[in-house]
Amino acid sequence: MNSKMITLPKDTEVKPRRRPQAPAGRRSSSLHGREARGAWILMSPYMVLLLVAGVIPIAYAFVIAFQTPPTPLNPEVSFGGLESFTTVVTDYRFLDTFANIFSVLVVWLPIMLVGIIGLALLIHASPGRFGSSMRFIYYIPGALAGVANFVLWVYLLNPAQSPIQGFWHALGFTTIKAVLVSPSNLPMILTAMLLFQGLGTWILVVNGGLNNIPDEVLEAAEIDGANAWHLAWHIKLPMIRAWIGYAALMNLAYGFQLFLEPYLLDQVASNALPDQWTPTQLGYAFAFSNYNFPAAAAMSIILLIITLGIGLLVVFRSGLFGKEEH
Amino acid sequence: MKTPQFRRRALSFKPVAGAAAAVLLLSACGGSGGATETEAERTDSGGAITVWVDPPRVPAAEAFVKAHPEIETEVVQIDGTVGGKTLQQQFSQFSQAGEGFPDAIFFPSNDDIAWATGAQINYAADLSEVMPDVIEGYDEAVISPCAIDDAIRCLRNDAAPDVFWYNKTFFDANGYTLPTTWEEYGDLAVTIAQEHPGKISAFLGDSYAPDRYLWASGCPTNNRISETEVQINLDDERCQRAKSLISTLVEGDAATSLGIFDADAAGIGADLVMSPGAAWWGDYLFNQTWAIEAGTMSAVAPLSWEGETEPSTGNEGGGLWGLSNFIEGKQLENAKTFMEFVATDPAWQVELSTGLPGYGPVQDDWIEKQSASQYFADTETTFQAIKEATPHVVEGHAYMLYNTGGVWAETMTPALVSGNGVEAGWSAFEERLLNEAKAQGYTVVTDAPQ
Repeated sequence: MNSKMITLPKDTEVKPRRRPQAPAGRRSSSLHGREARGAWILMSPYMVLLLVAGVIPIAYAFVIAFQTPPTPLNPEVSFGGLESFTTVVTDYRFLDTFANIFSVLVVWLPIMLVGIIGLALLIHASPGRFGSSMRFIYYIPGALAGVANFVLWVYLLNPAQSPIQGFWHALGFTTIKAVLVSPSNLPMILTAMLLFQGLGTWILVVNGGLNNIPDEVLEAAEIDGANAWHLAWHIKLPMIRAWIGYAALMNLAYGFQLFLEPYLLDQVASNALPDQWTPTQLGYAFAFSNYNFPAAAAMSIILLIITLGIGLLVVFRSGLFGKEEH
Repeated sequence: MKTPQFRRRALSFKPVAGAAAAVLLLSACGGSGGATETEAERTDSGGAITVWVDPPRVPAAEAFVKAHPEIETEVVQIDGTVGGKTLQQQFSQFSQAGEGFPDAIFFPSNDDIAWATGAQINYAADLSEVMPDVIEGYDEAVISPCAIDDAIRCLRNDAAPDVFWYNKTFFDANGYTLPTTWEEYGDLAVTIAQEHPGKISAFLGDSYAPDRYLWASGCPTNNRISETEVQINLDDERCQRAKSLISTLVEGDAATSLGIFDADAAGIGADLVMSPGAAWWGDYLFNQTWAIEAGTMSAVAPLSWEGETEPSTGNEGGGLWGLSNFIEGKQLENAKTFMEFVATDPAWQVELSTGLPGYGPVQDDWIEKQSASQYFADTETTFQAIKEATPHVVEGHAYMLYNTGGVWAETMTPALVSGNGVEAGWSAFEERLLNEAKAQGYTVVTDAPQ
């Protein structure tokens, strides 16, 4: 990383495109050509995946979304314009699913980000064995496979078996159904589940960002009289802005796609939770209960636009793709 | 659970593309279905058949394999969750692919018959001409869930009319008299709850609860008029009397908001003193699941509503077997043999099945077999009640593309659990039911055509 820091200015200090003179520029552009070829080769496996799992489905979704669904009376599909979008937006569950997701995001995302940054900074400020053991401990819940994690939660949430039984009883809950269906509980439970499984992994990622900060910078700050707090607040935090942006973006995108947790909790609650609690569950219902694939595709596109919009905003505001990467 | 498309992504994804790709994975699966539907063609495997059964019906399939070793049979165990959506998802994908259907199936939810016979999936074959002899063995009331638009689209595994269950030991010890009307049942339940706090007389939190109370009252929640038209009217007097009964039970602390299948229900099941409940409650619920002592529970005939002479009752499940529309030749012959076996053969229906056989000619043998265990307090009355209850099941209740029980569990149950009361739960139930019906494409009418 240090070597990168040293070579950086050569590429970026002046605006290369406007530089008029020849020899140096040509040499660097042939170097650029080779680098670009290498980059494309390295990226090609990813591009194939992106094409198969991203671009083609997106394109197909756009095609499908503008068709009419086949019905018993009219089995032929034809161009339906915005009909499927109207179906989705006017569905009685549409706004509710977004309200539900927001009720989770509003609680979860701030806690998640503060938690990630705070704990990562703490770990980074505790060098040696203590810091690395804590990093490992934070990571453990995230390393549990999804299903194991879920079973653990079912166990925790059930007042009949839970180690935090006293807590549930103090709140007046005696059955897992009561815990899950009481109106304001679900966002809190999902928040806890998402925090538990995601926090550790993201601490590692942000910690990686912190390790990227050159020692000289920190040493210089220390010589100037900065204490640990000053270091964290004035030096480290601004330098990992891109990582924080990345964490915010990925978690936001993940939150918007909540499916598995509410789907499985519904089964645990003997179907007492709404089947279509999140937008993705609603999309699923369009496809497989109503056989309305155009509406499902339209729902996906709506979600794409929302997450893409938020994503672009975060990318540009946090400098996630900083100029040194161009 | 087959939803890998919703799993989280690796962290290394490039953020924007990653988010976009992942969001759109949903449409990847959705995308496959937009094109023109392929009508599956009839095929013949030359004899080998594939049958799908839920876990409780695995012994039926195994008994068939044992009885018919000459037929190459693949038995697939499927998710048996009542109200589950995975089966419908798989079938809609088979429908698009034009292949993949099982040759015969036990539907985990009775509501499944609605989409399985709908024009889009059209899976379940009309059996009225394929196996008329078997159908003749069914009482008309028992086979009625399969009788759709002048065709018989399935065979009933077991008849599941509700009878009136009570704890005979408790009644004898405390000198209570059994109610004969629904109204008396409500009042007695409240009296018992006052005199013996903790004793309950109703389970209101499962998806069969509306079958137990609303169906039993003739409340039009599922009155199918045609493939696209249904009567739903919760303001109907028959719905209102059921609602007022439920209010009485809830306000008198005589009901639990748990459902009969809840894991927590076994504990409270021992405190159940009386309740309408399906014929299979006796063996499956009281005996096998809740392990209530032998000689305790007993059943009598269903209750009547005040001012009516005939008993009225609902029906809870009583599973359905379907035969594929998409096979022919030897494969069809063998699949028919399977259907006939599971519906009628004593090796399954008498020896192994826990519910009263739907197929009439084997009912008495089943009763004899079940009586031998002497589990019920009054064996003779119990089985007589079970056998005679079917004609009292109220007509005008079809299985629809929306799931009334599921809606109940999502609206009334949370209202009761959180103490919001029957009134709040009822309006939520009504609103959601109408919304679901409309979202499935039904035209909802409030009055049935005469």
